[in-house]
Amino acid sequence: MVSENLVKDVVSEPYKYGFVTDIETEKISKGLNEDTIRLISAKKEEPEYLLNFRLDAFKKWQKMEEPNWADLGYKDIDYQDIIYYSAPKQKEKISSLNEVDPKLLETFDKLGIPLTEQKKLTNVAVDAVFDSVSIATTFRKELAEHGVIFCSISEAIKDYSDLIEKYLGSVVPANDNYFAALNSAVFSDGSFVYIPKGVICPMDLSSYFRINSGDSGQFERTLIIAEESSSVSYLEGCTAPMFDTNTLHAAVVELIALDDASIKYSTVQNWYAGNEDGIGGIFNFVTKRGKCLGKRSKISWSQVETGSAITWKYPSCLLLGEESVGEFYSVALTNNLQQADTGTKMIHIGPKTKSTIVSKGISAGNSVNSYRGLVKMGSKAVGSRNYSQCDSMLIGDQAAANTFPYIQSQQPNSEIEHEASTCRISEDQLFYLQSRGIEFEEAVSMMVSGFCRDVFNQLPMEFAAEADKLLALKLEGSVG
Amino acid sequence: MQSKTKVLDPILEINNLFASTEDLPILKGVTISINPGEIHAIMGRNGCGKSTLSKIIAGHPSYKITKGEIKFYGQNIQSLEPEERAQSGIFLGFQYPIEIPGVSNLEFLRVATNARRKFLKKEELDTFDFEDLVKEKLDLVKMDSAFLSRSINQGFSGGEKKRNEILQMALLEPKIAILDETDSGLDIDALRIVASGIKKISNKQTGIILITHYQRLLDEIRPDYVHVMSDGQIIKTGESDLALELEKHGYEWTDNFLKNI
Amino acid sequence: MQIIEEIKKNELLSNPSEIQKICLDKLKLNPLPNAKNELWRLSNKSKFSSFLDFSHKNKESKASLPYKKNSRNIIRLIIGEHNAINLEEENYSIKELKDSEIINYIKKNICNFDQNDHWSDLLNHCLSSKKNILGLNISGNKIPPIEIFSASSSESLNAKTLILFFEKNCKVDLLQINLGNENSSLSQSTYLCLEANTSVNHGVVSYGKNKSNLLNSLNVIQKAKSEYILGSLHFKFNYARFEIRINQLEGNAKTTIKGIQITKNNDQIATYTNMQFNGPNGILDQINKSLADDKSHAIFEGSIIVPKIAQKTDASQLSRNLLLSKYARIDTKPQLEIIADDVKCKHGATISQLNAEELFYMRSRGLTLAEASKLQLSSYFQEIISCIPVSKDRWDLLDKLLKEN
Repeated sequence: MVSENLVKDVVSEPYKYGFVTDIETEKISKGLNEDTIRLISAKKEEPEYLLNFRLDAFKKWQKMEEPNWADLGYKDIDYQDIIYYSAPKQKEKISSLNEVDPKLLETFDKLGIPLTEQKKLTNVAVDAVFDSVSIATTFRKELAEHGVIFCSISEAIKDYSDLIEKYLGSVVPANDNYFAALNSAVFSDGSFVYIPKGVICPMDLSSYFRINSGDSGQFERTLIIAEESSSVSYLEGCTAPMFDTNTLHAAVVELIALDDASIKYSTVQNWYAGNEDGIGGIFNFVTKRGKCLGKRSKISWSQVETGSAITWKYPSCLLLGEESVGEFYSVALTNNLQQADTGTKMIHIGPKTKSTIVSKGISAGNSVNSYRGLVKMGSKAVGSRNYSQCDSMLIGDQAAANTFPYIQSQQPNSEIEHEASTCRISEDQLFYLQSRGIEFEEAVSMMVSGFCRDVFNQLPMEFAAEADKLLALKLEGSVG
Repeated sequence: MQSKTKVLDPILEINNLFASTEDLPILKGVTISINPGEIHAIMGRNGCGKSTLSKIIAGHPSYKITKGEIKFYGQNIQSLEPEERAQSGIFLGFQYPIEIPGVSNLEFLRVATNARRKFLKKEELDTFDFEDLVKEKLDLVKMDSAFLSRSINQGFSGGEKKRNEILQMALLEPKIAILDETDSGLDIDALRIVASGIKKISNKQTGIILITHYQRLLDEIRPDYVHVMSDGQIIKTGESDLALELEKHGYEWTDNFLKNI
Repeated sequence: MQIIEEIKKNELLSNPSEIQKICLDKLKLNPLPNAKNELWRLSNKSKFSSFLDFSHKNKESKASLPYKKNSRNIIRLIIGEHNAINLEEENYSIKELKDSEIINYIKKNICNFDQNDHWSDLLNHCLSSKKNILGLNISGNKIPPIEIFSASSSESLNAKTLILFFEKNCKVDLLQINLGNENSSLSQSTYLCLEANTSVNHGVVSYGKNKSNLLNSLNVIQKAKSEYILGSLHFKFNYARFEIRINQLEGNAKTTIKGIQITKNNDQIATYTNMQFNGPNGILDQINKSLADDKSHAIFEGSIIVPKIAQKTDASQLSRNLLLSKYARIDTKPQLEIIADDVKCKHGATISQLNAEELFYMRSRGLTLAEASKLQLSSYFQEIISCIPVSKDRWDLLDKLLKEN
């Protein structure tokens, strides 16, 4: 098995993405007010409608309160002590990758995401985002031949304003929640994907988010539109350097699937989690939501959440179209003093809609790992079904695992089934593996990756191996 | 085969029956007629519509008759509820008898038997009389009375479930019994028990439809007619030797009949 | 909501007892529970306020027993009516608690009460007068079944309190019946304290009439090696809440909770359970069932809390729900909060309607749809009702009530 070898390779590595790229950046001063927003919008040369969208969101945000229902323990965030725009200094207009600062290319090289023509990954198109801006997007020409648009959202705002105006904020309205409102006001960059009618996207699309600067927040925004009978698989990866301060990451992702379209969205989140004493790390407060607008449309979320000091994230599906399908596959691993509160919402609105939830939580150290999910059958969701399975694994006697499934039905002709269990790695199982000559820690990671198998099977190939590696890495020293 | 020589009104007549489920057509013009005392076998590949036919006769709500009719003693039964069909003497032995946790087998059998007796204008049985009756019938299928105190089919082995079906048939004394793969999942001893049970229950007034894949049940219960079904139609009808031919040549052989239709 | 105004203005009682004073003080600033709190967020506001619409001063309740008092060998008490009991038999004794014991016990409890978590109890203690508090100390075995009634009177809000201490090695069947009268509200708070090695089979049957409301709070403390079995049935209430809090103080105990709530018309009935393990080797086996018809709303929220000290806990919680009408609604939230690593916990929930294949199977044997549904429903009830300790004549009554519904 490949994964087991990978586990061995990395078992003693520390957070290897913790380096800082020394590059001259252009930052605006700390603090948030209307002028900050006007400044960001001006820097990005945005059209009027977008500035208004931002200002409107800001007004709403000011009236909202930071949510506290997730019971996450963290120091208050000072929203005036954050830099809302930070970009590496580059030439005015970049016409090709050759003009990108070599330091940036080197950074992504080191992260395993080579961008240059010679080295770029062969079957994945990558949009690389560094702090607040998109650095480069590979394979654009090849994708354009199929009519697929894959670019940074800043470009899309200028070049495809009709699509942006129609869909931006249509799935996650600006006033949806506190962090979504903040994002709507100050979002810097992110990715935009448009798959035209009938097109099966010829390669996986991927965004890679890198936080470099210690005091700036990251607020990216992703919008994916899949027209009738199209399909796309999209991957997202995240890393950040080690700082002893907390960095705020408040992203918004919106997916729209029309008739017979399918979107698969996979995330491997490995933001810096802070050190063993809980100093530093990213606050990852993300709103991800997909709208299955069309008949028989399908949105599938899969995520491996291993990083961040705090994760607060519920990738959700609004199942409007008849026979539309929502899926959520998640592995969340927490160690040391990490806190994760993650899950999904499956809102069944249309008839004969189906959803599946598989969540695996692993908590080690002093961490808290919660599954929080909502399954709702609306009164018109005739013949709809949901199946949820939430398993937790506890490692050590200081870790906590919580399960909060909210289940609501207003439609008798629908079925909801929820199952959950909690287990630990049994001594007998460990002994069995060890007696066959397998090292203790390796035995543990084998069992953990076995526990997560259902979810890993849903990930694209490259990601599955990556995910296995990550888990092993994160668990190091937590057992025994 | 004395029944063939008599001129009797058929118990069950199916005329050019078309049916579908969720707009998917399953039966595409089935015609079959069963006279008192006759045993018919319907054979065919998985998915040819055999089980659907049996469920439609019993009135399963998931299937819609789009054309044609089913007559029971000359009456169209399309508008009858499943229970009305059962009470009037139509019995379906399920391929996969469902487990109903918590509902007592004995109570279920008693309510069902009394519903049938009420229809026949016989006196309904109280708990004690019913227990006597059921014990007598248990012998037919060599079942232990311990089965009665369990929930319907719950935790029963495959063979026990099928024997429970035959027990119900014995209690309800149907006019026509459709036995859907009653032989599947049975070892040879259980098959003999089931077959002998069926033989003891049936008589000159009853009709039987055996739905099966295999010859071995037909070795025990010799059918008067064998129908081969494919893609929702009966593509060939013959006497009991047709089943032997089929066993010998396999279903590919029947594909030729299709071309002739 | 006259009562709430009176609490705010300090006018509720002219001469409050010590406990009433403490509770009133707790409620004075924020007399109502926070509607955003998890335990209250689904509570229907207008129904909740209809609970508080009746006067607590009108009249004392009078329970009209639903059956003849012909049974022998049953100890029957009606809270607020004839409390006097002092039995000293060969194998057992049942004695009334002294006033001071009652006051101390309640005082000890309420000092930790959170305004949202224990709002029902706080309100109960504000309103329940000395006469309406029954406290018993029960010991021994071969105790006859005990039945305790609480009832409300029409056009009023009645508050009743029950405190039972079960001494070591005690074994008893206890049936508690809460009767809601027409246009009335009943606040019932119950405290059970199970010493080591006791075994209590507790049945709670609550049923109302037209426009009855109920706040039923049950607090159970279990010491080591005790076994507590609860079977509960709630139906026919415009608005009812059943709050169960069980604390396995030292672990090593066994808890079984089987509850069912039946909602019809426009009813809202909710069950909240909180199971706390404060020691190792605790066992919980819980099933909650809801049956919602017409335009009614059934709610279940159950939390299981397993701290680090509770190693080798084995807890299972199931929420099974039947939604019988397209205008009805069911909310369920079975939740686990676990810190100990060597535990077995699982929970599950389903919401569906009667199984169509099962119904067809029975109909194909000649049962009518109504008969088949009834058989299915009664098997659905049976699992719960078998945990309610009732003698034959009570059972007939229950059976009759269920059939009517």
